[in-house]
Amino acid sequence: MLTFLIKDLLLFWRDRKEVVTVIILPLVIVVVLSISMSGIFEENQSENYDLSLSVVVEDDQSEAIEEFKASVSQSEQIANAMKQNVIAGVEKAPPVESLMQFLNSPELEDWITVNTMSESEAAESVEKGDHHAMLVIPEGYTSQLLSNIYLDQGTEPALKFSAEETAVEVDMVHDVIQGFLDQMNLQYAVSTSGGEVDMNQVQLPEGGTETLADDQSFSLNIDQYFTLSMGVLFVLFMASTVASRTGVEKREHTFNRITLTNTPALHFLFGKTCATFILAWLQILLIFIGSHLILGTFSDRSFTFWIGMVFVSSVFCFAVAGMSSIMTSISLRLKNPEAADGIFMSIIMLFGTIGGSFIPIYVLPDWLQQIGEFTPNGLTLAVLIEWFQFEDLSTLWMPSIALIGFTLILIFVSIILHPKKGEIS
Amino acid sequence: MIETIQLSKRFKEKTVVEGVDLYLDKGESVGLLGPNGAGKSTTISIISSLLKPTTGDVKLDGESVIKNPGDIRKVLGVVPQEIALYQELTAYENLKFFGRIYRVPKSQLESRIQTTLELVGLKDRQKDLIKTFSGGMKRRINIASALLHHPKILILDEPTVGIDPQSRNYILEMIRKLNEQEGTTVLYTSHYMEEVEQLCDRVYIMDHGKVIASGSQSELLSILSNEDTMKVQLNQMSNELVKAILEIDVVRHVEETGDSIKIIAKKSSNIISNLVKLADQQNIKIMNFQMENPSLEDVFLHLTGRTLRD
Ligand SMILES: Nc1ncnc2c1ncn2[C@@H]1O[C@H](COP(=O)(O)OP(=O)(O)OP(=O)(O)O)[C@@H](O)[C@H]1O
Ligand SMILES: [Mg+2]
Repeated sequence: MLTFLIKDLLLFWRDRKEVVTVIILPLVIVVVLSISMSGIFEENQSENYDLSLSVVVEDDQSEAIEEFKASVSQSEQIANAMKQNVIAGVEKAPPVESLMQFLNSPELEDWITVNTMSESEAAESVEKGDHHAMLVIPEGYTSQLLSNIYLDQGTEPALKFSAEETAVEVDMVHDVIQGFLDQMNLQYAVSTSGGEVDMNQVQLPEGGTETLADDQSFSLNIDQYFTLSMGVLFVLFMASTVASRTGVEKREHTFNRITLTNTPALHFLFGKTCATFILAWLQILLIFIGSHLILGTFSDRSFTFWIGMVFVSSVFCFAVAGMSSIMTSISLRLKNPEAADGIFMSIIMLFGTIGGSFIPIYVLPDWLQQIGEFTPNGLTLAVLIEWFQFEDLSTLWMPSIALIGFTLILIFVSIILHPKKGEIS
Repeated sequence: MIETIQLSKRFKEKTVVEGVDLYLDKGESVGLLGPNGAGKSTTISIISSLLKPTTGDVKLDGESVIKNPGDIRKVLGVVPQEIALYQELTAYENLKFFGRIYRVPKSQLESRIQTTLELVGLKDRQKDLIKTFSGGMKRRINIASALLHHPKILILDEPTVGIDPQSRNYILEMIRKLNEQEGTTVLYTSHYMEEVEQLCDRVYIMDHGKVIASGSQSELLSILSNEDTMKVQLNQMSNELVKAILEIDVVRHVEETGDSIKIIAKKSSNIISNLVKLADQQNIKIMNFQMENPSLEDVFLHLTGRTLRD
């Protein structure tokens, strides 16, 4: 059996044109596409990210802090030893002032312009489109916030965030503010040892926009998306690349010679299947690693992340090998191997399309996206993207089992379809 | 050893092999002679278990090959008409691959590859890719690939097409050696009668899917025993004359070859005088007249009225 595998690998290696198109070309395409596409993307970014925000402060912070100091002194909830600490913390970074400082900080100043004004002015300017969004810090905000956090009194106060249009940049500001509030809460909480802080309590008011981005995730940029989707697509092609050699072997009569040696028929199939697996595996890892080395696609990612990538890739390559296996069996059955190659190529293009390898899945209608996940490449791409974002091990098992099951069925069917030893056509 | 019984093969409506009975005894060298499209390759494919006959059977030592092709494959070496080699592999790699899957013992494989390469005279080119070889060299490796497992029966399908006379003689000599020294049974297919004359003990002549004659060379030639073949050289060629000669009732065939004509006719006393008379009438001079020994080519001509390479 190994003889067949060596033969198939050697044949592949000798065909330099094939080596280049299959191994090098995908990497070149990923790099070129990423560089050209991210250029366009970045231009859009700098244009769109210029966001003007009108801020309305109705809260009287200094008065609230004085009141808060008094309440803390009388409070029985806070240990006497900690009281000084809590007050010092709040005085050092009063909530509203901190937020304003944050919004005007150098990191944000590039894309957020903050204008302070009265509520009616703000509402009007947003309506007219002079400003993209408005943020209202309501009266009593500081007071409510502090007593809620430290004294466990009242409810969590809400900031009012609203925008005329729902746009990506508005969402981003929204997220940024929320992130800041979360952090602020955490810092206050630290100042009271034993003070229990529930981070989820920090919520932005209704009327703004819905939170889009997931917390604690890596978002996927364009070159990362290309690397994953092109990697998956090109590996998919490997199935027909290797299987189509069967047609060549029939045409050049080497297959007849093999038949005459009375070798168990499955050795031939085994060679093709294993060769596909090995080549596909090398190919996808080369694309991932190459893209990482050239574009820094996966920089700052953990070892676990890479292990997961290798694992998902391996399972996918297994599925591709299964596809190659069944294609090999079918082309041995068919009188006309060229026709078989055409059919296989079409199937792969179809899989590639609905699996989202040519165009991002999210531009497709929902039902098609769902079907897409029934293709091995679509499922793999979805899993890879999920793994990329969350590195959540539990997302890997089900798809992997599905892919392995799919492969085993393919291999089983191809063994049944494969002409048996001694069978004469 | 091998015997075919009323082999027939039909592709769709077309019958390409029809009622072929032939046999091969151990150690024999048998020729299968026929023009293009006679059905030689199809017959060979059926015998070597690559193709199922529409009707009929192939037997190896009395056992049907169709039902159990494994037996014949074990003892068979087949040199196909096409170059059945991996073009992208070297000669050595091809031999190694086929040797392995022929289950040549590992310990012997290397030495067998080298002796076989030596036999076909390509030892020094073994590291080169097949696709860089000339037609003749490819043919030789094509033969070598069928010899590695030391087959008892060797079937060669036109192994010398398209190669230079030197390589051709080399190959023929090699096959003769295998047959005479190793006792390999040989079935040799060709449409070159000289090759078959040189190599084979017995000959089958096929045409249009049927065996039209068979036997040893002398047996086949004896078909012509009551015919004469003569070559007449003329000072000028004349279609009138050719027509007139054909009118003579004992003449079976007339063929123009350059400035002379070849005539096959029943043995008879008056053919020469007739010829001279006819030539005289048309003012044509007979420059040379020669009786020829018949060849298998003439036998084919006699049987079909066509030459082998028509
Ligand atoms: N698979 C096929 N389908 C249809 N017709 C076929 C097939 N294989 C062979 N034939 C036909 O059968 C006839 C005999 O072919 P075959 O190859 O046996 O002849 P051959 O004697 O080997 O000729 P050559 O000297 O050219 O090799 C030809 O007319 C050919 O067209
Ligand atoms: Mg032929």
